Amino acid sequence: MTAPYCLMLAPGHYLFCRMYLDDVTSRDDPMIACQRCVMDSRDDPALNIIAGECSYCRGYRIVADRDLLSEPESSAALERVLRRIRETGRTRSYDAIMGLSGGVDSSYVAFLAREFGLRVLAVHLDNGWNSEIAARNIQNIVQKLNLDLFTHVIDWTEFRDLQRAYLAASVIDIEAITDHAILATLHRVAADRGIRFILSGTNLATEGILPRHWVFNKTDHVNIRAIHDAFGSIPLKTFPLFTTRQKKRVDLLGIETVSLLNHVPYVKTEAKEIISTALDWRDYGGKHHESVFTRFYQGYILPTKFGVDKRNAHLSSLICSGQLSRDNALLELRKPAYDAGQLRADRIFVLKKLGYTEEEFDRLMTTPPVPHETYAVERSLYERYPLAKPLRPAVSWIKRAVRSITTAR
Amino acid sequence: MVDYGVGNLGSIRNMFRADDNVAEISADPAKIEQATHLVLPGVGSFGHGMRQLKSSGLVDVVTAKARSGTPLLGICLGAQLLMEGSEEAGESGLGLIPGRVVRFRFPPASRFRVPHVGWADVEPKGPLFRSWVTEPSRFYFVHSYHIVCKLEHHVAATSVYSSAFVAAVEKGSMIGVQFHPEKSHRFGRNLLRRFALLK
Amino acid sequence: MRRIRVIPVLLVSHGSLVKTKQFRDPVYVGDPINAVRIFNEKEVDEIVILDVTPMSADHRPPFQLLEQLATECFMPLSFGGGVTRVDDVEALIRLGVEKVILRTQPLLDPDFVPSVAARCGNQSIIVAVDVRRSFWGKRRLIGRARYESSVDPVRYCQDQEESGAGELLVTSVEREGTMGGYDIPLLHDISSHVSLPVIANGGAGSIAHMVEGVNVGGASAVAASSMFVFHKQRNAVMISFPPPETLVRELFAIC
Repeated sequence: MTAPYCLMLAPGHYLFCRMYLDDVTSRDDPMIACQRCVMDSRDDPALNIIAGECSYCRGYRIVADRDLLSEPESSAALERVLRRIRETGRTRSYDAIMGLSGGVDSSYVAFLAREFGLRVLAVHLDNGWNSEIAARNIQNIVQKLNLDLFTHVIDWTEFRDLQRAYLAASVIDIEAITDHAILATLHRVAADRGIRFILSGTNLATEGILPRHWVFNKTDHVNIRAIHDAFGSIPLKTFPLFTTRQKKRVDLLGIETVSLLNHVPYVKTEAKEIISTALDWRDYGGKHHESVFTRFYQGYILPTKFGVDKRNAHLSSLICSGQLSRDNALLELRKPAYDAGQLRADRIFVLKKLGYTEEEFDRLMTTPPVPHETYAVERSLYERYPLAKPLRPAVSWIKRAVRSITTAR
Repeated sequence: MVDYGVGNLGSIRNMFRADDNVAEISADPAKIEQATHLVLPGVGSFGHGMRQLKSSGLVDVVTAKARSGTPLLGICLGAQLLMEGSEEAGESGLGLIPGRVVRFRFPPASRFRVPHVGWADVEPKGPLFRSWVTEPSRFYFVHSYHIVCKLEHHVAATSVYSSAFVAAVEKGSMIGVQFHPEKSHRFGRNLLRRFALLK
Repeated sequence: MRRIRVIPVLLVSHGSLVKTKQFRDPVYVGDPINAVRIFNEKEVDEIVILDVTPMSADHRPPFQLLEQLATECFMPLSFGGGVTRVDDVEALIRLGVEKVILRTQPLLDPDFVPSVAARCGNQSIIVAVDVRRSFWGKRRLIGRARYESSVDPVRYCQDQEESGAGELLVTSVEREGTMGGYDIPLLHDISSHVSLPVIANGGAGSIAHMVEGVNVGGASAVAASSMFVFHKQRNAVMISFPPPETLVRELFAIC
């Protein structure tokens, strides 16, 4: 076992790396599979089952009980949050800001925002990988809902360099850079334009189950810089980073993110039908396939290099939220995640855009994964200066006081 | 794809390969002899094209393969070369299909300009073409001259530019298309796919 | 029903897509490869790529980029920008570029277009005619590196037709990027004095403008850039293209 990796890791990550770095999951360890959802110990060796409920089903249940209300509390809570958004937005250019990717979640949020009479500014982040359907969906939504649109186009040469750095670093969450850029941009535009609320499309119903070791903290800008420092070749000058300063600014301004889809019953098939009819939204097959890279990442890179099939998590979420039966989920999993012809074409395209030869890319796919924590990560001030911990209550009090002044405007 | 120094063959090859066909570009008579399917591309003038074909020493092998039943697809100038001759030049064509090639002529104030450049809907007429093109299809054309067939049953398809003109010819396993399938999106791709399946 | 070619124009500077307004103030639009791929999926008729990188004397066309772009297209791709040699024209055609767009070189060298035509054929040549109005309202032809010519554009187009050009790409500098409509008088003057196809460019903001360009301006094809690359404003980059049914209904049926 490669010792340096061990030192930096939390137990969960250790097990994950153990599984892939050493091929330790031996034949005589029986595979544990949940009988409720479709997660099993290949997704997470630490998966355990108590009273017929696996650790993921349990986790979902706990969070859902806390965050997903049932009627009549749910409508009341929704009304409360909408009222707050509208009242705060009265003196501002927009009630809220939202990211638009062309996918189901954000498209449905746009639809709901209109239904609820909110004035929103739609923001699209272009990372150079938009699929044609995504572009078309965004165009239709913006036109049909008459939304103001702002696009931030990431400098492609910088983004490409970052993606190549992440591939060279062999870390799992290559999508973190895009997710991070979206967060950074949404918060920056909100702060710049005096918008207090961000409407997010994240939701428990379809995303509630996600093994922690499959993703990395999306708001961590330190890790991005560190990986880029180690493997990048051109300076990162314009890439949207959610820096500490930005975070403080957001904090002071009291900018809040609202997961609208957790406030309404969110059934994916129904949502798709609604936006198809109302907004001319078109399906593209597969979650998050509005980006060609995401399609390739989830359909090829994750399974091949990291042994991860994200469908397991996604379908398990749908099972836990009561939208899908386990039998249908298993049927779904039997289908190939990626159409062979599409995979071939996508592979050629991805290699062309990122500038890899077949051999170079194959080598990247067989290099063992490396945890994100191998590179610097963002740590709070208290993590970096533990002696300051006693000051924490006082500092929080001061922050609250300042915020109540700055947000009273 | 027969390389006789005229036209861009890469695009044609790419489109064949996009459907997993084994497609090669060659000027080697031996290689051409072994092909199961031949494509005769070409852009530019008839005279120049025939001269190039002759000087490349490929006239005989191409005509021999065509006469022996090897599927042959002529594209644009390549289709015109299958005919007996053209108004454009003194040289005779390969003479594989009876008929000639004539220039588009329009009155001076006409809004129809020469060359005909652009997309046009194509109407299948011949049995082979009709079996290949089953949905309303448009193709990309760029030409100043067009084919006139001696025999009606060689007209595989027609299109309209001010008036009707021959868009494609067919005779046995020989097909000539005036348009550029390699520049015609899914319509062209469908055509090339069907051609590749021809025995 | 007459099909009019509707052509997206993409400007490339240092390998990145940009969009100018009146030939100035470039805005970053993104990666050209993805843009071309999207247009290909939308099955657009044809695409024009113009290299607007500020050029040095020894500038050569971006062959590598063009090869990457050409392999994303199953439709004609035309390229222009700093093409000054016949060899380069041939090389571009060999790697899949359908037509090469020539702007400055024909202005400097009257033998250029004839040489290219002889080597590669008329159908592979588009002569770009960029027209701006001088302070006194006179039409002036412009080229690379602030080159200007006082030759009358109509006369110039007639000369180019004689020299062997296949098509003319006529762009109004003042209208470019404004989405306020083409320079119809300019288009009309040129199209009524040549028998070559004229592609209208510079100013299109709607399909109605395109109808005007064809019916009144006499254009055989219409090109646009801002309209297909922005959603209403220059800070909202969004690639779009009218669906086929819309074009049939609002353009082809009326022309």
